[in-house]
Amino acid sequence: MLAEKKRLNRLGNQLFFTGPTMIAFTIALLIPFVYGFYLTLMKMATPVSPPAFSGFENYRAAFSDSQFWDSLWLTVKYTGATIVFVNAIGFALAYLVTMGIRSQNFFRTALFTPNLIGGLVLGYIWQFIFVQSLPAVGENLGIELLRLGWLGDEHLAFWALVIVTIWQSAGYMMIIFIAGLISVPKDIIEASTIDGANAWQRLTKMTLPLMVPSFVVTVFLTLKNAFIVYDINFSLTEGGPYNSTLMISMHIVQKAFMETNYGVGQSEAIILFAIVAIVTGVQVYFSKKMEVEA
Amino acid sequence: MKKTFVSILIALLTVALAACGGSKSNDAAESSAAPSHSASASASASPSSSPEQDKVEIIMTNGKGEIASQWEQAAKDFMAANPNITVKAYSQAVGDTLSILDKLTASGETVTIAMMGPDQLLNKHKDFGIDLSNEKWNGDTSYGIRDESGKVVGFPFAIEGFGLVYNKKVVEKAVGGSFDPFSINTRDKLKELLDKMKASGVQYPVAYQTEAWSVSNHYSTQFLNQAADPNTVIAQLKEGKLDLASNAVWNGYYDTMDLLASKEYNKYGERPLGKYYDDAHLSVGKGESAILFNGNWAFDSLKAVAGDSFGFIPVPVDNNPDNPLNNKIQAGPTQSLVINNKATPAQQEAAKKFLNWIVYDQAGQDFLVNKSQIISAFKNNPNKVTNPLGAAIADAIAQDKTLPFTNNYIYGDDWFKLIGPEVQKYIVKKVSRADLAKFIQDYYTSKK
Repeated sequence: MLAEKKRLNRLGNQLFFTGPTMIAFTIALLIPFVYGFYLTLMKMATPVSPPAFSGFENYRAAFSDSQFWDSLWLTVKYTGATIVFVNAIGFALAYLVTMGIRSQNFFRTALFTPNLIGGLVLGYIWQFIFVQSLPAVGENLGIELLRLGWLGDEHLAFWALVIVTIWQSAGYMMIIFIAGLISVPKDIIEASTIDGANAWQRLTKMTLPLMVPSFVVTVFLTLKNAFIVYDINFSLTEGGPYNSTLMISMHIVQKAFMETNYGVGQSEAIILFAIVAIVTGVQVYFSKKMEVEA
Repeated sequence: MKKTFVSILIALLTVALAACGGSKSNDAAESSAAPSHSASASASASPSSSPEQDKVEIIMTNGKGEIASQWEQAAKDFMAANPNITVKAYSQAVGDTLSILDKLTASGETVTIAMMGPDQLLNKHKDFGIDLSNEKWNGDTSYGIRDESGKVVGFPFAIEGFGLVYNKKVVEKAVGGSFDPFSINTRDKLKELLDKMKASGVQYPVAYQTEAWSVSNHYSTQFLNQAADPNTVIAQLKEGKLDLASNAVWNGYYDTMDLLASKEYNKYGERPLGKYYDDAHLSVGKGESAILFNGNWAFDSLKAVAGDSFGFIPVPVDNNPDNPLNNKIQAGPTQSLVINNKATPAQQEAAKKFLNWIVYDQAGQDFLVNKSQIISAFKNNPNKVTNPLGAAIADAIAQDKTLPFTNNYIYGDDWFKLIGPEVQKYIVKKVSRADLAKFIQDYYTSKK
């Protein structure tokens, strides 16, 4: 009797604290996800027509959509580029602003600020920079690479996307790295200094291994963000020139809402979800194994 | 102590949740033009309205987000004049990919009057509308949108047109005096004009922006006007009977495009693709360049810079000054109002009343042209838009110098998404003209 009451109490407590989040999660994510999956099994000729069961027809169409695979491959390349650069630059910045330089708190804030600007706004700002500012700079200083707008060349437009992503998220990752760097115990660094390790050895042999938990988080975040990028893609290049920078999310949106092919678009979204879930799951599982104790 | 704290927390949460739920109904009330407000307005407008008259409620959707407030006001004015009709007016947000019509329909509402582009009306929503052939307003316009069987199914709400937008000040300086845009009726004359402008000190007379919808849906469909009815050309394409690579008109438009996008005249000639829409309009607005290819809506981007005046030059296709294609600009309905065949007869009658209100009521005419700055398709509308590009189109309509709006004869999303990138590839010479011709032909034969 007493034990039962205790259990009820505990359940009540748990519900009290997790309930609101669970409700929000269910309404905003779980139900739409399940309903979305249900829709992929249905055929809808127009948004107005009632759904009719069609089995895995939509998935077959999604797998044979060549633009889907082109976009996916492009997204993989973009993911690779952003993971490397965002984390490397984020870590470098974090290292710099924890070295004890003057006004480092100001730099921390300044470097984090781009993350507070929404992706859409950021894209339009950088569109202006790439189309108007940089060509003007290139023209006046005679820098051939900058003289023509980057967004008109398929390779440069891709790197434009990567640069804007770095600018947006490196500061955010920097904050996570700062937390990691601060929690590296001072005593082992001191001990290694006494043992004669130079700065480079201290960084690679002591600090980095202890920072693995931070990297697990940042790599996960950059990986996930890169796979589902939409806002910057939409506002900076809109997939152009000639669809050469059309990332996977944007392709799905176009498939579903512009071609009004909801079933196929939703199936592609589910496939993307599965890919992202597997890739990030594998990443977290294996990088967790690299964690060490101080 | 602890208990009170918990109960306060619970109360707070409840309020928060209730607020979440409540705000939604507030939104709905707001966007539906406040029925309570309208009720009081109608009561004051005609206190003698008989109570036995049946109340009708209709929903109308507006696809042009930029006239959202005018649309709502029109609904209020119309309700004031027709107290037994309640109008719920919805507008699509600018840039929203999902149409407001689809949204409302998906949530179980029956939209009575829907605004949609003619290509949507003739393709995606071809089973949506009722026959409007016997409406009185057909006598005042020739722009009613007809379906395959020739019935009028769309009320022409907005007329728009395109051509070569030019900055009058720059062009007049170059030619030294007044300039008649319709005097440019061959490609050689256009080239001559561009050379004159270069001589007058304009380094790049053209600022050719290459958005997919512009180079594909607008520019690349112009060849359809080689027959009096663009549908016959499309039928030939579908049957595979038209060879574009050897078609003079089709090639002619790309010869002109090559001229416009060339390194010699085009500001972006060295790298023609890129996001140049804003920059191109700024350049022409400021007078640094003089010509770009776009429609009357370009004025929104141009006027932000200077009070200069603008007009349209026809897009020349060849060097024959008597070719009508060289002497006219394209204009046609780009938005239509359609009445839902699933609405009740009473709702349909109310909707027809609204269409007549736009055409024949002074308030309706004022709403369309003066307030919303839309070029009217109706001859009886005495108002004129202030936009000089719109006025140029209205003048061309009056002088019978317009060609059918070819964009209405294609499936817009396909031309934007499939053919658009191919045209862009052609502009940077990544594919040849023959490749492009084949791509368009294959698209049509696969559509059969």
